[in-house]
Amino acid sequence: MKLAVRNVLRNKRRSLVTLSAVGFGFAAISLFRGYTDNMYYGVRESSIRGEGLGHLTIYKAGWLVKGKLDPQRYMFSNAEIKQIIKTIEEEKAVIVATPQIHIAGLVSNGKISTIFMAQGVIPKDDKIIKGRWGTFRPVQGELLSEKKDYGVEVAQDLAKYLSLEPGKEGVVMATTLAGQMNAMDMYVSGIYDSGSDATNDKFMRVNYTYAQALYDTDKAEKIVVLLDDWQKTEPMRLRLSTKLAKAGFAVEIKTWRELSVFYLKVRGMFDMIFLFLFSIVLIIVVMSTINTMSMAVLERTKEIGTLRALGLKRRGVSLLFAMEGGLLGLLGSLMGIILHCAAWSLIRVLAPTYTPPGISTPVPLVVHLVPQSLLVLMICLMFLSLIAAIIPARRAAGQNVVDALGHV
Amino acid sequence: MKNIKKDYFLGETVVRALRGIDLQVEAGEFIAIWGPSGSGKTTLLNLIGAIDEPTEGELSMRGREVCSLSDNQCSELRNQTVGFIFQGFNLVPVLSALENVMLPLQIRGLSAAEAKAKALVRLQEVGLADLVQNRPSKMSGGQQQRVAIARALVTGPALVIADEPTANLDSETARMIIDLMRALNEKDQTTFIFSTHDQRLLDRVKRLVRLEDGRIVNGGSKPC
Repeated sequence: MKLAVRNVLRNKRRSLVTLSAVGFGFAAISLFRGYTDNMYYGVRESSIRGEGLGHLTIYKAGWLVKGKLDPQRYMFSNAEIKQIIKTIEEEKAVIVATPQIHIAGLVSNGKISTIFMAQGVIPKDDKIIKGRWGTFRPVQGELLSEKKDYGVEVAQDLAKYLSLEPGKEGVVMATTLAGQMNAMDMYVSGIYDSGSDATNDKFMRVNYTYAQALYDTDKAEKIVVLLDDWQKTEPMRLRLSTKLAKAGFAVEIKTWRELSVFYLKVRGMFDMIFLFLFSIVLIIVVMSTINTMSMAVLERTKEIGTLRALGLKRRGVSLLFAMEGGLLGLLGSLMGIILHCAAWSLIRVLAPTYTPPGISTPVPLVVHLVPQSLLVLMICLMFLSLIAAIIPARRAAGQNVVDALGHV
Repeated sequence: MKNIKKDYFLGETVVRALRGIDLQVEAGEFIAIWGPSGSGKTTLLNLIGAIDEPTEGELSMRGREVCSLSDNQCSELRNQTVGFIFQGFNLVPVLSALENVMLPLQIRGLSAAEAKAKALVRLQEVGLADLVQNRPSKMSGGQQQRVAIARALVTGPALVIADEPTANLDSETARMIIDLMRALNEKDQTTFIFSTHDQRLLDRVKRLVRLEDGRIVNGGSKPC
């Protein structure tokens, strides 16, 4: 090992170039990984809390395929809702289970009308689901409240289009589940930013009972479940599926991941970019290490012959050069960690912001420091450098001792 | 060795480096192989040291047939039985004198502490006790060759091969190196075989083997 360390330090300039290639490559990958980690966290929280999907959404079996055609049949009755929620809330990991109903129709300010989509929610449960997310995108005016049944929250572009402000009134119209037209007065309690240009001009949030009244029903379309940890989503789905089936309920349970198309698309895109970036760095690291080790083998041919004459086996020579390659990977990765921490600190101090496509407001550029990722990347690059060194190492080990000793 | 032949192939040209060598060496001998350049001295030493294979003939060391050994077995044989001293010293430049001498022992698998203790004894024997931490670049040619001698002897080999050990040294240092080798030969009864074409050193050896055109012309059999 001592020999390997000193050999790496023997040609300082060349080793520095290789270490820089590994180090900057490491930093590029790890910073991007830290960025995507924050991105995934943001989109995940946006789906679970912002969109209000919770971790699990429970539908009556058949709703997702035939629910729109025959909603009465595939919605939960009041009695079913109570029983299901009682069963679900026996689980310690469940923070809240709440019924919801999705409505759509026309909203008018008395002069002009436009389409809207709204989620009928129980305000106190919705507040729990929003959690800290509520402070990230605060509502201008007042929040939904059970006390003001006719109060609604309107997305900011829709409010702008209809010149609605907190305290103003309007009318919503929709077709009931029985197919009759229904209209109800509404009171704008608050205006909010949905976070997306695509939804800011048509979304509203209304009281659960208000939505039921508009659709003239006492049923709910789904039950949203919030857990204490997103990583429990999948096990809890299995658990609740079994439990509800035993209780005699035919249900379909979807996870937030399945329902959030945006999350899946963002994840797919960033995973692809990450793979692309990693491939480029991989090629740079492998080529740099092969080049450095090949030069080292060429320069140290006579030394290899001497070591072989002293009794070092071919395997020993291979191991020596492979260790030197691995060492380059290790030192390069350590350099990469230092670069990563420096860039991470700089980003935290400067706190730059940017506006991603489709998002309505600027978001801060945040890079997470993910120790597990740094460790995995370090092991990965070290292993890669070691593998890259094997080609020149095998060439070194395969040399004839006499030829190597006679090399000039 | 019996009827040893060694041919080199340079494209379609065959170079006959050794043309049938018969040589028997007893333990504790101090032998110089001499002859003009191109007579086959280095080739002969490479074969004796088990770092090359003959084209034809039999070569045995302490009753063990060398030609039938695998590459790994040859490496073990060299590490346990043979010490090498090279014309260009061939010390590892990134290691100190002490670490260079420890190297064959560490290849054998000895712990660093054991290797260090043995290496220090050998370095003391060759008169370099004060320079153990020096790297080769900070040492003279004579000092480097003494480190190489210590390295060759540190494993307690039965045989030391020295290919032109004095060629890169001035006359005075060359005589000192040969005298040192001779002293160690007499002290430990280690067999020394070295090649040289420097006639001034030949009066210091017990047995002379003269090579010409790949054949032994004088000294092939042990003197009475």
